[in-house]
Amino acid sequence: MMRKQIFTSEELGESYTLATHSSGLRVYLLEKPQYASSYALFGTRYGSIDTRFSVDGGAPVTVPAGIAHFLEHKLFESEEGDAFVRYAETGAYANAYTSFDRTCYLFSCSSRFSDNLAILLDFVQSPYFTAETVRKEQGIIGQEIRMYDDSASWRVLFNLLQAMYLRHPVRVDIAGTVDSIAQIDDQLLYRCYHTFYNPANMFLCVAGRFDTDAVLSQIDAGLKDTPPVAVERCAEPEPTAVCEAYTEQALEVGVPLFCFGYKERCDRPQRSLKEKICTEMLLEILAGDASPLYASLLREGLINDAFETEYFTGHGYAAALFEGESKDPRAVAYRIKKEVARLKNDGIDPRLFAAAQRSLYGDVIKRFDSVEGIASALVECAMFDEALFEELRILRTLTPADVCARLDLWSDEYAALSVVVPNK
Amino acid sequence: MAYKLTPLGDGVQGLFIENPRFKTTLLSFHFYLPLRAETVAENALLPYVLTSCSAQYPDFSKLNYKLHSLYGATLSTCVAKVGDFQELRLSISVIDDAFSLDDTSTVGTAAELLSSLLFAPALDGEAFRAEDVEREKRQMRERIASEESDKRLYARSRLTGEMFAGDPYGLSKFGAPAQVDAITPAALFAAWQRLLQTAFVRVQIVGRVLPRGVFERVAAAFREIPRADIPDLTQTAPATPAERVREVTETQQLAQGKLVLGFSCGQHGLDRPTMPLFVCSDLFGGGPYSRLFANVREKLSLCYYCSASLVKSKGLLLVDSGVELANADRAREEILRQLDAMRAGEFSDADLEASKRSVCEMLRSYDDSPGTLDLWFANRVADPAPMTPAEVSDAAAAVTREAVRDAARGVKLHTVYLLRPEEGTEA
Repeated sequence: MMRKQIFTSEELGESYTLATHSSGLRVYLLEKPQYASSYALFGTRYGSIDTRFSVDGGAPVTVPAGIAHFLEHKLFESEEGDAFVRYAETGAYANAYTSFDRTCYLFSCSSRFSDNLAILLDFVQSPYFTAETVRKEQGIIGQEIRMYDDSASWRVLFNLLQAMYLRHPVRVDIAGTVDSIAQIDDQLLYRCYHTFYNPANMFLCVAGRFDTDAVLSQIDAGLKDTPPVAVERCAEPEPTAVCEAYTEQALEVGVPLFCFGYKERCDRPQRSLKEKICTEMLLEILAGDASPLYASLLREGLINDAFETEYFTGHGYAAALFEGESKDPRAVAYRIKKEVARLKNDGIDPRLFAAAQRSLYGDVIKRFDSVEGIASALVECAMFDEALFEELRILRTLTPADVCARLDLWSDEYAALSVVVPNK
Repeated sequence: MAYKLTPLGDGVQGLFIENPRFKTTLLSFHFYLPLRAETVAENALLPYVLTSCSAQYPDFSKLNYKLHSLYGATLSTCVAKVGDFQELRLSISVIDDAFSLDDTSTVGTAAELLSSLLFAPALDGEAFRAEDVEREKRQMRERIASEESDKRLYARSRLTGEMFAGDPYGLSKFGAPAQVDAITPAALFAAWQRLLQTAFVRVQIVGRVLPRGVFERVAAAFREIPRADIPDLTQTAPATPAERVREVTETQQLAQGKLVLGFSCGQHGLDRPTMPLFVCSDLFGGGPYSRLFANVREKLSLCYYCSASLVKSKGLLLVDSGVELANADRAREEILRQLDAMRAGEFSDADLEASKRSVCEMLRSYDDSPGTLDLWFANRVADPAPMTPAEVSDAAAAVTREAVRDAARGVKLHTVYLLRPEEGTEA
């Protein structure tokens, strides 16, 4: 039932198995026999941005925002009871999360791995919703949304996404809105579940102490027989331009927060691994803590050690983000733009390029010290069809020109700044 | 995992936590000083200045360039309260020599770098450099202000300040903004001298092998320093029951309120004697099987989160929750009702077993993380023979329901802090 491939890195002293089940489910397994614990995730390529799609070539349908996250909450319940109650029998730590492009159910344990895997496989494949349980969940999620309304770091990001994106659903909160979740009912949940929780759209990733063959047999036996569904994301076209170059909100904060971003044009839905690594490197060289820009911003009191950068990309969206706290966010944005212009003109410092390359190499090695870190890296592989050890190979072959080329995607015209200021 | 404690001088200890599974080595210095209003801000600023530059790397760009070149070695700083002491932590995590792309020893270089930051800072005579001090003071003021932005953190810290008013533990770990403003480069130099001369020092290494010569060099460095007045870390005053419950309410423009309850536990200190209290705290407000999660959140939907945490060193139990204003009174009643139920022994064997299993599973995974092991032993610095996570796991599994019930009987409400959303605030 399973087609198996084994990948090994002599350099890291690690190897993993990629097995593809006849249903289309992909399984990534990396054994760490010296470790005490294991970390497992069962996920689907279904996140908050998947609100418009077509099934098996049919007409596109649009559904209310927040269903992926709603489903994440509801799947823990089944006719036989709550999955948490079942995990309480084994003592495993269990959780789930929904992001823009995925939903993952996870557990971490130091014993009874196969019992935990059985629970995970079972509850994720056993949807159970009634009108009454859906109503109750609307209340709980409403509280969660309100909690995030007070979170300045969350608001500053979503205000930026709303300023940058006109149509792409990345602009909507992952949990949806109080209004959108009010439109959700059990029938909609079943419909989205059967569309996106198809094994061909799903993956299972495990790192830690377990036996690969035993896990594969258990998955083979525990997967329900489901015919494949072809899902296509039908996002409406997103213009290159931003909606607003500046947005501001007042909240109960001690220091103003900012998030500045360059919206990149997306001609293809997905960035390649090489493009992602190059952009990460560029951000490090441009604004990392060894860069001249960081030094001058810090010296002038414009940023503090909360300053960080992120390459924010998924299906149909990509943006370079600079986030932090500042008494003068507009000045920070201005200085970033100036430095980008300087790099476009002068190119990047080869010393900083070499240091960033070594630093990213070290980051890859460090990740292999943590079963959670490895499992999360395997999820990235599953999401984007990448190979785990490819990162090291690409890193080694990069040139300053590869990194510099990413600058062409950034233009002041398509930049936006979001600020959260203290309440008066 | 095995550990070995080595005396390196008067109030200076080395701890090697041997763990062959890792590809990195973590080296850390932990300094423990008494929590005092007069010194808390100066002490807190020190590790930030010390890790921003040094005599050898006079500005942070040069220092960070060095760290990037050292395969992204991570230099971290932390200030914490451990009982009635202020802990200052400087640590570096680096990939092992086996992964170095040239002949340099990554671990040896990182150890030297960390020592040089501590013992050879960038100075201007008998003072730190004014520019460095001012930069870090500004960042500290912003760090303090920024804690106000995280309402959960803010509410917890307000509760602690109120509950321990007049007690060292009530001080903010960073000090007050006005105290930060008052720090001079000369005063910070004096604080650095005081740190080296009077702090209790723990040097910890988590890794595959003990890097050669590191402990010896630390011991030699401290032999050059006159050491005196080293604090006795076993002396922490526990939280005492309140004669009358203290109530504090504050209003801000928020969508959701925060309710925090502080309890004295009637016991505090090392792992072994407080083991039933540890299990009791988890059964009360730990995972999804806990009384608070199952009842206050799931059954009654009174808050989005509601959990308990135990500060063993201080004998303090905190319950914190995010509540809608309309539910705040009911949530409080229900939290106290759940505690009463535990005092009466009204909890099922199944729930107790679930709690113990969860705690044991979690503890058994601690050996898999260098950072968690470092923190584990640093928090147990007052214990001459600290238990390992696996030993605590075994001991927790043996706790009886009667012992849990008795531990709950010692837990008494002391202070209630409510952060109220202003009525009419838009969500």
